[in-house]
Amino acid sequence: MAVRMKPVDVAVIGLGGAGGVAVLPLARAGLKIAALEAGTWIDPRSFRPDEIHNNVRGWPSSVQKANREVPTVRRSPASPTLPRAAVHPMMNAVGGTTLHYWAQSWRLNPWDFQPLTKARERYGPGAIPVGSTLEDWPLTYDELEPYYDLVEREIGVSGKAGNVQGTLDPKGNVYEGPRQREYPMPPLRSTGFTEHMAQAAKQLAWKPFRPPAAINSEEYQGRPACVFHGYCSRGGCHISAKNSTAVTTIPEALKTKNLTVFDRAHVTRIATGADGRVTGVHYLRNGTEHFQPARVVLLGSYTYENTRLLLLSQSKAWPRGLSNNHGQVGKHYFGHWVSYGAGGVLGLFPFDLNVWYGTPAQGMVVDEWADDNYDHTGLGFIGGSNLHVFNEMHPIQAAGMDTFGRAPAWGSRWKAFVRENAARWNAAHIQTSSFPYEDNFLDLDPAVRDPLGDPVCRITCGPKENELRAVEFAQKKMEQWYLAAGAIQVVRRPMSPPGVSTHAYGGTRMGDNAGTNVVNRWGFSHEAPNLGVLGASVMGTSGARNPTLTVQALSWRTAEHLVKNWKSIAA
Amino acid sequence: MHEEKKAHGFSRRGMIRAAPFVPLAAISAAAPAAESAFSPSQLRLIEALVDRLIPSDESGPGARECGVAVYIGRSFGGALSGEKTAFTAGLAATDALARGRHGAAFAELDAAKKDELLTSMENNEAAGFAPDSRTFFNRVRQLTLEGMFGDPFYGGNRGFAGWDLIRYPGPRMAVSADDQKLREPIKPLRTSAHGGRHGG
Repeated sequence: MAVRMKPVDVAVIGLGGAGGVAVLPLARAGLKIAALEAGTWIDPRSFRPDEIHNNVRGWPSSVQKANREVPTVRRSPASPTLPRAAVHPMMNAVGGTTLHYWAQSWRLNPWDFQPLTKARERYGPGAIPVGSTLEDWPLTYDELEPYYDLVEREIGVSGKAGNVQGTLDPKGNVYEGPRQREYPMPPLRSTGFTEHMAQAAKQLAWKPFRPPAAINSEEYQGRPACVFHGYCSRGGCHISAKNSTAVTTIPEALKTKNLTVFDRAHVTRIATGADGRVTGVHYLRNGTEHFQPARVVLLGSYTYENTRLLLLSQSKAWPRGLSNNHGQVGKHYFGHWVSYGAGGVLGLFPFDLNVWYGTPAQGMVVDEWADDNYDHTGLGFIGGSNLHVFNEMHPIQAAGMDTFGRAPAWGSRWKAFVRENAARWNAAHIQTSSFPYEDNFLDLDPAVRDPLGDPVCRITCGPKENELRAVEFAQKKMEQWYLAAGAIQVVRRPMSPPGVSTHAYGGTRMGDNAGTNVVNRWGFSHEAPNLGVLGASVMGTSGARNPTLTVQALSWRTAEHLVKNWKSIAA
Repeated sequence: MHEEKKAHGFSRRGMIRAAPFVPLAAISAAAPAAESAFSPSQLRLIEALVDRLIPSDESGPGARECGVAVYIGRSFGGALSGEKTAFTAGLAATDALARGRHGAAFAELDAAKKDELLTSMENNEAAGFAPDSRTFFNRVRQLTLEGMFGDPFYGGNRGFAGWDLIRYPGPRMAVSADDQKLREPIKPLRTSAHGGRHGG
């Protein structure tokens, strides 16, 4: 017999980047919340400047629930399943992956919200990628702006505004949508390398700027400024200068005493009544089955698990899975085309770059080739790419460098090569607009199961001409940038379609049409009215930049909508 | 963050599936296993392999001198224990290859013969490996990089020779703007992230 917990107003599944934000407006409004998180609280003192600990062995992700549910990947329904990833790129914890992410906190470009309308207007109906299921978002950038502004202040984002109410400032991103005011903190300081790259970009008549980050550039809300020790990527912050939800919105929500956090709570099903309404959440804790009754459930795990939990939550009312009577759960899935590392652009320089320390968000970026900031006539694709170079290099990573065809992979000649060059190479991070397609989707894997016997999520995601062309175009621009900065050699590696990704979108897309979208413009199910969904799984486009701030702005907005419409939604 | 670690042919999955729930605090506090997972003859083979991948030469000490075999042995006694069977099979296949082609164990051969065998493993031309020789070669190479350039706490990078080789200035808890200048070398700080001088 399951342990029946005390009923609450709202059960939130997953207390990461999305759920960790949504709980704050709910708690402030006086709603009683049970947050069910598969991971634990993690002591910041356990984060170390140690590449083997963080990056090679993947602590603490490697001991997580998510790691036993790594999705499988195939390129098409007719293709075999690829070798399965050894490690899930996301982690379970109070704060989730915001504990160890790069903390790049971008707003999407206004174009990303209305790509269908804007691309047709500028380039004609033939510009829309063949086979895509692209729709405009049900809201515009201007409608989301107040929530971007709010979240930037609640969690703390450093950056330089490029467009405050229409007034442009080239120290920031002049291509961004209008903001109501400046960032709450100045941008992270630049470095010798990022300044050097900025000068090169200016020679090309591009407008470089420092990207926004949920990392303190100065003391903020009682937490210290970043010390740039260089173990930020996949490493948590030992001084809490990285603004994960574990040190920002979750502690704020706990202060209200309206939030109870149940860690190590492994959610297995969302429960529904005969009328199809959601009634609560089943979970395992300490090996015991629990049931948490709730009047409203907000599903805020990761994109893959959001789809999987809905598909697993079958009942008489929901024979195809919860909120899936239109067969849209898992559809409109796409991974972000991010060109980096083995599928990216590398530059080799004739001098030491000294990028060992710092953090990836301590970088330099250009937006000339992002979104629709340039004329795409004749290029054969829509969308674009943000070009990003940055600090933070670890020694094993540095020595594991590509040898640019100049040396073998081992032996004395290799050793002499890395002695000269391990401190002299750089890898760009290029994020490209990615879109949903009819034949890219998530479903349940018929063969691979998790330790509880449930099927894992299966990704079907193949190459797409629009994105392949866009990536190639951006890589050539990046090559131009490195050469302008004095690189003696640049290599461009063709990118494979994304697999299990930290930037995974769709599966529960947001839109007004219930026939093609799982949730409405507020993030609530078209079919099960007291079920809300949080996360990038609701996003219909990626833009050319990291998703987290948009996820957080949407999460706040969904929670606020619930507060304002409590009686009608909770019925 | 976008790295997608591919399975490397050794079944990490089997290990993960079988693993009981371990509290994070316990993992965090765990020191690396002190004992090597390998027999003396296996360790001799590992030393011979890593010695050819990163030899001792005019650029400085090599992987053998830096304790890379110690790093690998301890790793398989702890964090990589689930992969040990597959790795041991790769070691046995390497010696079988050496005996088949040259009539002696790998460690007994001269440098040129060792390099010839490693080259055929790297090019995926050596038989007897599961799933194939390139997979095993790449795994040994990756572990060699980890032992040579990782924190000395784990048994390798003895005397910080790996970090000296590539001019990595060492972990430090606070970094100033002056520590992030282009071209300018930073005075190395030679301590482990776990405190103290390891690997001496």
